[in-house]
Amino acid sequence: MAAQSPSTRLLETAEKISQGAEAKIYRAQLHPSSSHGDQAVEQILLKYRFHKQYRHPSLDASLTKSRVAGEARALIRCLRSGVNVPGIRMVDAAEGILGIEWIDGKSVRFLLGGGAEGEEEIEETTDEPQEDVPPEEDTLQEYGISQDALMGLIGTEIAKMHQADIIHGDLTTSNMMLRHPSTRKGLQLVLIDFGLAYTSTLVEDKAVDLYVLERAFSSTHPESEPLFAGVMKAYETKMGKDWAPISRRLDDVRLRGRKRSMVG
Amino acid sequence: MQSFHYPHLPSEYSNVHVALFTDVTNSAEIRSRIVRAAQLEGPDGETEREAVSFAFLDARLICSLLHLQTAVYQAILAQVQGTIRTKTVHSEILWALNPTNNISEAIRRYGVADTTAALIVVRICSPELENVEQLMRTVVSGKLSPLDGLADITDWSSVKKYYKLNGEPALKAVAKDPARERALVEEIVTSSVAMKSVMA
Repeated sequence: MAAQSPSTRLLETAEKISQGAEAKIYRAQLHPSSSHGDQAVEQILLKYRFHKQYRHPSLDASLTKSRVAGEARALIRCLRSGVNVPGIRMVDAAEGILGIEWIDGKSVRFLLGGGAEGEEEIEETTDEPQEDVPPEEDTLQEYGISQDALMGLIGTEIAKMHQADIIHGDLTTSNMMLRHPSTRKGLQLVLIDFGLAYTSTLVEDKAVDLYVLERAFSSTHPESEPLFAGVMKAYETKMGKDWAPISRRLDDVRLRGRKRSMVG
Repeated sequence: MQSFHYPHLPSEYSNVHVALFTDVTNSAEIRSRIVRAAQLEGPDGETEREAVSFAFLDARLICSLLHLQTAVYQAILAQVQGTIRTKTVHSEILWALNPTNNISEAIRRYGVADTTAALIVVRICSPELENVEQLMRTVVSGKLSPLDGLADITDWSSVKKYYKLNGEPALKAVAKDPARERALVEEIVTSSVAMKSVMA
């Protein structure tokens, strides 16, 4: 076995983009340009589940391997079911690295201007001349899609995923991206980060998946109830007859949820 | 022939040379040479094995350069990490391309057959090895063609059959648009090749 894994060496030359609790994200070019040097080679995103010091080493090794494997399997199931997800480009489970297609675009969270990023803009009144269009609206305009239409895309995509009995496990607006219309595949809503995904036919699991998204919406994007309603409308349309049981379950889950006790 | 250098891979596997030969006339001879090279012993065996030390792939089953590069990369990774399933890194490419774990099936489907007309030839080696194109031409009797011709050669129905994509929901959705369907098939196939090492 090589002293230093090739994937580790690849990471050294890659551009670090962000770091979460679970993984470091890099941008890299896996395959070199050819000797002919004609076309541009596509970039990929490398998700590196780094060694966690707080875990026992053997547990860390096996957990990392199974997370990478689980994410890859969820992605391939989605691809086969027609759900928009990034394609897989390289898997090195032993090192905890997953290479996926680079999505040229922005996260839905960014485009809706949620959380800390958008706080300043929200207080502006409409009396302000010319500059009264919030920056986040501008970016969405650049993509040529309205917020309502975007909600429709989200609802449709999640419905496709649930119809394939795939539960995302971490549905938030940060885990959805909008591919820029100028790219080869064009404007597309892409679901990302399937690290916590699993397969289930249970209505309960689908309802919880939706509830997680509902809570994420309300905590990240203030006054977003109408937006989420738009997501649900599109989800309902796409699901067809399967919507009713999920809808009932979702109501139950809402009653059950955190900080819902009627006790004083 | 195109050559790719991977600086982060160990030197002995860091150069990948890929060539497309069309109108191949000696496929049967190439195949018997490979079989014989595996059986021969001693120094003669060594030289013969070295002479055919390439991956000979049926070009009709390769969807794109990316598809091929993904298989090549996973093969090299397996070799470097000691998880290789076949005898050489070149045969590992054939294994990587096949959706199942059956090595004989992989060689039968994706390798050179007596009637193969278009061949993709791959050599994985160190940067020290020169004249790779010449080494290829010595073995293959055919026309060396530019790799962009690959798109026209792909036998999409065979690809779909081997990967069991014919009833797949994703394909039903784009059935009316052949260009989009081909792009989707290429995406699924490339992704499958990439994640084969962790497939359940």
